[in-house]
Amino acid sequence: MNEVLKSLSDDLAAAVATAGHSIVRIEGRRRSPASGIVWSADGTIVTAHHVVERDDNLKIGLPDGATVSATLVGRDPSTDIAVLRVQANGLTPANWIDGADVKVGHLVMAVGRPGAQSQATLGIISAIDEGWRTPMGGMIDAYVQTDVVMYPGFSGGPLVGANGAFVGMNSSALMRGVSVTIPAATLTRVAGTLLTHGRVKRSYLGVSAQPVRLPAALAGSLSQETGLLLASVEADSPAEQAGLMLGDTLISLAGHPVHQMDDLMAVLSGDRVGTSVPAKIVRGGQVHEIAVTIGERS
Amino acid sequence: MSILQRLNDEMANVAAVVQPGIVRVLTGQNGAGAGTVWHSDGLIITNAHVVGHGGVLRVALPDGRVLPAQVIAHSRERDLAALAIDANGLPTIQPGSSSALQPGDWVMALGHPWGVMNAATSGIVINVGRDLPDMGSTAHNWVIASLHMRPGHSGGPLVDVQGHLVGVNTMITGPDVGIAVAVDEVKDFLKRTIGSITPGNIV
Repeated sequence: MNEVLKSLSDDLAAAVATAGHSIVRIEGRRRSPASGIVWSADGTIVTAHHVVERDDNLKIGLPDGATVSATLVGRDPSTDIAVLRVQANGLTPANWIDGADVKVGHLVMAVGRPGAQSQATLGIISAIDEGWRTPMGGMIDAYVQTDVVMYPGFSGGPLVGANGAFVGMNSSALMRGVSVTIPAATLTRVAGTLLTHGRVKRSYLGVSAQPVRLPAALAGSLSQETGLLLASVEADSPAEQAGLMLGDTLISLAGHPVHQMDDLMAVLSGDRVGTSVPAKIVRGGQVHEIAVTIGERS
Repeated sequence: MSILQRLNDEMANVAAVVQPGIVRVLTGQNGAGAGTVWHSDGLIITNAHVVGHGGVLRVALPDGRVLPAQVIAHSRERDLAALAIDANGLPTIQPGSSSALQPGDWVMALGHPWGVMNAATSGIVINVGRDLPDMGSTAHNWVIASLHMRPGHSGGPLVDVQGHLVGVNTMITGPDVGIAVAVDEVKDFLKRTIGSITPGNIV
C-alpha cells in the first residue's frame, strides 16, 4: 500500500538524517540559536553573518550532541556569510550538489539545528536565475529561490536536495519574505577569502550619487543615455583626493559605463582596492577623464 | 504511470482511507471542530479546547447522523478530550506510533476548516518531541509539522503515509507550522483516564 509515498517519506527522512551529520547549532545571539554547516572535517564552520551577533563567547552544538567553544574567523555582512572555527577533528564535511544539477521544481528541504536535533521543512525550487547583488553590495553567484518555510533558527543551515547533499546555505536576512539560498559557489569564494584574510575587502569611493539623463548631444557622442550625478563627495575620500566634485556626472569607471548605482557597485568589487582606474565624467558640459585610486571601506 | 502520478494517487488514497473516521464535534449554536474515531463502539478523540466548557455536545458522523456526546475524559494540559457516543461499527483511524516519526517524514492533516468538510493539507514532520522552539519545554509530546493547518483542523487526525494516526491536530504557531498532540500521548491519556486504550471496557 502506498509504496511510492512510503518510499518518498523514508527517503526524505533519510536525507534529513544524512544532512544532519554536517549541520551544527550556532549559539551566537541572545534570541534562539541558529544553524551552521560543517565546512571541513577539522572544524571550519560556515553560517549566516546575521545569526552571529557577537564576536566572542560563541558556542557550537555538534551533531553528536557535544557543545564546544568556537572562535570567529571572519564575517562578510554584504553576503551574510560568517566563518567560525572549533577545536575538533573527524567532523563530517558537507557534500555539495553541483549548481548545474539544480532545477526549478526539484524537491528540497530546509534543514536546521536550532535545538539538539535536526528539523526540516519541505518545498520546491521556485526560481533560479543569474547572479545578483544584495542591498549591501555583496555578489551572490546565482539566484536560488524556494518555497520552503524558514523556521526560527534555520538561517545558516543548508538547503538539502533529495540525496541529502547541499544546494547552498539558507538565509532569511538577505531578502525579506522570500526564502533565498546562497549557492555553494558563493560560499566557497567568500569562505575562502575569510579563511585567508579574515575579512572580505570592500572598495570605497566616497560619493553618493543618483542617475540623471544626459543632454542629447552628449548622449549621442558617448552612446550612453544616463550617468550618475554626484550628490555628495566625502572629505578625504578617494573621490575627493582624485578631484571629483559635487555636481560632476560620472559616465564610466574603469572602462565600465555606469547607468545606475548597481553598475557602480559592480565596478567597486573588493579586488580593485588600491588600484588606479580612469573615471570619465561630465563637468560643465565637457567630458573629462581623471584617475581615481580606489580605497578600502573600513 | 509516472512516479509523480503514482504519488498523487497514493496521497489521495491516504485521504480517502482516513476520511470515514473523521467526525464533526458540534458545541452550542455555531461552534464546531473535528474529531477522530478511535474505536468503532463510539469513542471519539478531540481537543479539550474544541469541547470547551460543557454545554450541549453533539457529534456529526460522516453518514449524516448527529448524536449526543458525553465527555468521558478531559485534559486541558494535553489539549485532549475523549467523547462517547451511542454508536457501533464506526470506521476508525488505525492508531500508529509517533515515536517512530522522524524529521522529514510525510504527514497529512485533515479537519473541517472554514466549514469545508475533510479538508486535507500535507507536509513533512519538522520535529517530534517535548522541546518546541515557540513554546519552550513542555511535559508532553507534540508533532510539529510544516503544512497549512487552520483552526478548523483542531481535533482532526494527523496521519502518516499508511493513513495511520500519528497525532491529533491542536494548534498552529504560524501560517505554515501546525502542531499535533502526539498519538503516544493520546494512548497514555486514555490509559490513565479510562484504563485502556481500547474502549471495550467502557460501561
